[in-house]
Amino acid sequence: MGLNHYQIKRKILKARKLVIQATAAAGSGHPGGSFSMAEIMGCLFYKYLRYDPKNPSWEDRDKLILSKGHAAPGLFSNLAVAGYFDISEMQTLRQFGSKLQGHPDLKCPGVEFCGGSLGIGLSYSVGNALAARLDGKDQRIYTIIGDGESDEGQIWEAAMTAAKYKIDNMTVFLDRNFIQQDSYTEEIMPLDEKLLGDDLSEMWKDASRWKTGDKWRSFGWNVIEIDGHRIEQILDAIRRANQTKGLPSIIIARTIKGKGVEHMEDNPLWHGKAPNPEIVPIIEDELESQFMIAPSIIAGDMLNLEKEVKRCVDGRADYIHLDVMDGQFVPNKTFDHTKIKELRPLTLIPFDAHLMIDEPIKHVRNYIDAGSDIITVHAEVCDESSFGEICDILHSNQVGIGLAINPDTELPLWCYKFVELLDQIIIMSVVPGKSGQKFIESTHEKIQRIAKDLKEHKFEGYIEADGGVNLENIGACFEDGARAFVGGSAIIGQNDVRMIIKEFRNQALESRRRLLIKKAHDLGGTELVNKWIDLHIVGEKKDRLVQIAKELGSQ
Amino acid sequence: MSVEQLGDMRTEYSKSLLALGEEDPNIVVLGADTTDSLKTASFGKKFPERFFNVGIAEANLVSVAAGLAYSGKTAFASTYAIFLPGRCLDQIRNSIAYPSPGDKKGLNVKLVVAHGGLTAGADGGSHQQNEDIAVMRAIPNMKVLVPSDSVAVSKLTWIIAQKYGPFYMRMARPKTTIIHSESQEFQIGKAITLRDGSDSTITACGITVKMALDAADLLQQDGISCRVIDCFSVKPIDKELLEKAARETGSIVTCEEHNVMGGFGSAVLEVISESCPVPIRRIGVQDKFGESARDNEIPQLLEKHGITSINIANAVKVLRRKQ
Repeated sequence: MGLNHYQIKRKILKARKLVIQATAAAGSGHPGGSFSMAEIMGCLFYKYLRYDPKNPSWEDRDKLILSKGHAAPGLFSNLAVAGYFDISEMQTLRQFGSKLQGHPDLKCPGVEFCGGSLGIGLSYSVGNALAARLDGKDQRIYTIIGDGESDEGQIWEAAMTAAKYKIDNMTVFLDRNFIQQDSYTEEIMPLDEKLLGDDLSEMWKDASRWKTGDKWRSFGWNVIEIDGHRIEQILDAIRRANQTKGLPSIIIARTIKGKGVEHMEDNPLWHGKAPNPEIVPIIEDELESQFMIAPSIIAGDMLNLEKEVKRCVDGRADYIHLDVMDGQFVPNKTFDHTKIKELRPLTLIPFDAHLMIDEPIKHVRNYIDAGSDIITVHAEVCDESSFGEICDILHSNQVGIGLAINPDTELPLWCYKFVELLDQIIIMSVVPGKSGQKFIESTHEKIQRIAKDLKEHKFEGYIEADGGVNLENIGACFEDGARAFVGGSAIIGQNDVRMIIKEFRNQALESRRRLLIKKAHDLGGTELVNKWIDLHIVGEKKDRLVQIAKELGSQ
Repeated sequence: MSVEQLGDMRTEYSKSLLALGEEDPNIVVLGADTTDSLKTASFGKKFPERFFNVGIAEANLVSVAAGLAYSGKTAFASTYAIFLPGRCLDQIRNSIAYPSPGDKKGLNVKLVVAHGGLTAGADGGSHQQNEDIAVMRAIPNMKVLVPSDSVAVSKLTWIIAQKYGPFYMRMARPKTTIIHSESQEFQIGKAITLRDGSDSTITACGITVKMALDAADLLQQDGISCRVIDCFSVKPIDKELLEKAARETGSIVTCEEHNVMGGFGSAVLEVISESCPVPIRRIGVQDKFGESARDNEIPQLLEKHGITSINIANAVKVLRRKQ
């Protein structure tokens, strides 16, 4: 199956929500480890894994082996989303008579391994890989092991075996989330050097202390180390692992346990605990309000865009926004697809190509070839027919589909026909054409109105605020309903891109926290607000939430 | 009385595997650095691509075999008895016996071990596996075979290769007296009556079958007619034949080179006490560990643990007095 970046993200979101709903219904289960591997699962299920939900025992299928079997809800949810069984069955998780056992079981179609007793799955994968080789099958084994699981000696027995037999039809992921049942892995049984896990952000800073990869390298493995929540990195790592011949490959994915839900993130309590059903709607809103920061590099040095891209990489931008201007649709001219093609090898970060050009249908293929991950065209220069054609082209090339409107334009009626295909709608908050303009205040009202309207039309993509977005107004834009934020001079114009992106994120996060406290208040008044706040025990989250609740008068 | 012939269980196992390998390309063999001793190395020489020596890593051995079996192979995994059930109960339970694809029960892995029981000998108590029958018997879907001679090993290797599912088959280290003729038929779940008799029944598995026969000879001299049953299929056990023996002979003595707790004798007790209670005596290791004994001292070691034909004969006599 080949989905674009945004479609994969939506599947991951669906799966995450199912994990929450199912574990809440069951009253037990393991959301933490299901969420740390959620992006890995998504990239496997919706990009690489070859399977047929209608024929689970298809002989030539790839096999996904979840060795860290306690993360079963994270596997089941994807099997449900992929169509192995009805999504409603997720409600039977851990129930007497259900095929969705507490740990993965062959009773459930699509499950290839009875996991749960840790340390076994890698050996089992080696066995399956050897069998595929003996049978001359073009079949791949994908295996996910845990870092706590790596305490098991058998993992290392299997590691040696895979190296001895040069198993290269198997791709292994280590979900390195730093937490096992009792506490942080570095406190229970260190894999790395003296990483004390109270502040995960600190761990990330010092890659020199990452020793897990060295262990695997010394066992004769090809080691690929990535951020396990970044789709582009996961996809690239799988591609590289699958191309590696003559030795086994492991992708060490640095992840965050409970990723996506603030109170679960990096919190050992959520290794094996289900959320209380009354907070499920709040968590769902939280999951649905993930956001992205996309710096616009034309706000920087136009003569050295390579440098600007690198700054975005250092700043860990979610996307890089590329404003293509042709001097006709807008008065200015920036660059075209040839420049994008030149920039493409510099990073894996998705390119968000915003085509401010006339007759986009004529050019869109060039922008696909240049390596854009999403291409946004302007409603002002499309009609139903040309946009339909653009959608078809982008869709068949697995490129995201975006539609932009200028400050004085409303969404055209024809766009509702494509609403399920749309990955992004850009609502311009300045008149396009040049960088450094001031945010048009009336855009807030416009975003709110369009967000509400699109929600009613079951739009599942992102609304992107573009133009004059800065630290002062990003929070308000978030509240309006925007979930992607283009930062021009407010990001690229600053010295420390990394710091400013972090602050952008913090502002959006604060806004989201407000949203969720309001939600809690709507659902269950002060009592539920307090319960919600009390869940946030790691770091300084709780203090901030108390503050916000006071400001909102919810406490 | 004819001259006793000895046979080597491991040699027969190895020969059968070679022949099976020729016949069935789906057969794979795994070892854990004991392939010379288990004599499975010959399979590796002939079919190198279907032979996997995973080193001294038994847990891995079991689970790699499980993976091969899940992908359609018939996997024979072999090492010493002490290292398989002893070390890898979890892997055997969770990666072989528990996973049940479709209508099948367990994965198609055959755990064939050598050096079961006290007769492992000189290696000492740490290496004498006297608890494996109890442990393997308690796992759902697992079938447990304890052949009494090399003929049985050869025939059973063929049978388990062709019969789907997890099997545990225990071989002894020393050469053993050949008991069965080449024409003897074997069936899983069916015991073999080696000698008919009406006064009492002796049923045994593994090397103690020979002792049972010897005991029956001794008893015959005293005018006691003993039925002797080779119950190589400990699980599933031949309930029907044992019940019949209980009914017809009135008492049963069980023999095994294994702890009497949970082993073969216990299996017989379970069946008989529920359906046709008769007095039973169990000959076997009395909940103790073994110790080193050189080859010529093995009879002494067995005697120390009460596993002799004389003790079997005495047990029969005691039971008969109670009847």
